Amino acid sequence: MLLAPLLAEETGIGALGIDVGSLIVYLINFGVLLAVLYFFAYKRVLGMLDQRSGRIKESLEEADRVREESQQQQASMQQALNEGRQEGQRVLVEARQMAERYREDQQASARAEAEAFKESARDEIRQERDAALEQVRRQFAILAVTAAERIISRSLDADAHKDLIDEVLTQGGALSSSEGSSGG
Amino acid sequence: MAQSKILLPVVGIAGLLMLTGLIIGPVGAALFQGSAKEAFLPVPEVHLAPQTVFHLGGFAVTNTLLSAWLTTIVVLLLFVGGTRKMQVVPARFQNVIEIFIEALYGFMAGVVGERFARSFFPVLATIFIFVAFNAWIALLPIYPTVGFFAEGEHHITTHLLRSAGTDINMPLALAIISFVFVEAWGLKVHKVPYLRDFFRFGGIFNGIIKMKPGAVFYGAIDAFVGLLELISHFIRLLSFTFRLFGNMLAGEIVLFMVTFLVIFIAPLAFYFLEILVGGVQALIFTGLTLVFGLMAVTQHDEGHEEHAAEGAH
Repeated sequence: MLLAPLLAEETGIGALGIDVGSLIVYLINFGVLLAVLYFFAYKRVLGMLDQRSGRIKESLEEADRVREESQQQQASMQQALNEGRQEGQRVLVEARQMAERYREDQQASARAEAEAFKESARDEIRQERDAALEQVRRQFAILAVTAAERIISRSLDADAHKDLIDEVLTQGGALSSSEGSSGG
Repeated sequence: MAQSKILLPVVGIAGLLMLTGLIIGPVGAALFQGSAKEAFLPVPEVHLAPQTVFHLGGFAVTNTLLSAWLTTIVVLLLFVGGTRKMQVVPARFQNVIEIFIEALYGFMAGVVGERFARSFFPVLATIFIFVAFNAWIALLPIYPTVGFFAEGEHHITTHLLRSAGTDINMPLALAIISFVFVEAWGLKVHKVPYLRDFFRFGGIFNGIIKMKPGAVFYGAIDAFVGLLELISHFIRLLSFTFRLFGNMLAGEIVLFMVTFLVIFIAPLAFYFLEILVGGVQALIFTGLTLVFGLMAVTQHDEGHEEHAAEGAH
């Protein structure tokens, strides 16, 4: 039934309804549809898609940039912090060294002072002793002179004389022994 | 539990409807009344050619042409209306249109790459949209129900609207557009050397000049291959036309027949099938044009290198 019109002599392929007029109308119709859709739909939508993807790209780049910046900032902050810490450390060490040095200086000067003080004390003592000795010696001489005077003024009693000398000598011996112990 | 409670009555009603349809349809009529002519619905008439609805200054306006115009108007309303106030953050309907266009564009860009997708897109998208919407709109109930009675007849003999895909002029027009644009893209990219692929007589002339029968033989084969290539491009016209025409016409006939035979429920399955077929045919038409376009703009160079290599032998 379907094949009959196709095979029929006068209808043949014409039974399919191929018609140049309709064909042209379909072509024009498509052209109009294409033109209107192109200008009023595709351009808008694709433009919008481009715009949107551009904006997304832009904001992604912006985000990247901001992140990089913040990283840099953080790094520089860290660096500053490190530098500060190192500086503090250095100052601390320096201060400690300075204190150490100061202490040593102080110690040394104190020691030197003490030494000097001791020395001067010793000198003084020596002088005092020498002076004392000198005085003793002088008194001893005076004593000797006094003894001599007494000897001379008294009689020439031999025993008395001898006692006197002994007495003086004992005094002198006591002095010299006391001198010997203090000189040591 | 709840699902099975709903499912059972639905299946029961559907079964009853189908049974009723069968009884009042041609099968029941033939069984109980002795003649299928007594059926509830008239026997569908299959027309290959579209029918003229009215004449417009000597030009016969057919029902398929009216349908094509309806499709065009609907598509324009949807797409131009949907993109009238474009916003970066899309509103609901704009979003639907955008997703549709973006998906189409993504499909094309995936096949031919961004560069060619830009130039291919308008034509191919229009082909896709027109074919798909034409097929889908033709599934509306006004298509089989609105029409004109011929004198003395009690059923519709001329429908007001008929799917444009069933009019061979529409697929043919699209095939011509596809063909013209594919060749135009090829020419635009490769200029005149594009035509060299079809007219390969250089081998023969070379052979004759060098007096080598072997070279003449290979040259003749090469010329024949070129001729085949040329014919294959024109064959595309036919394959494009009849693929779409055949599918659309077959869909229409199947729907008519199933509706005539069972009346209720069963046609639904075929309506779903036709929705699928409309999309698939649109995709095939677009996809093939896309691939042919890609072949025209890219593989040409490789073909020439091969050709040159063969010529060096």
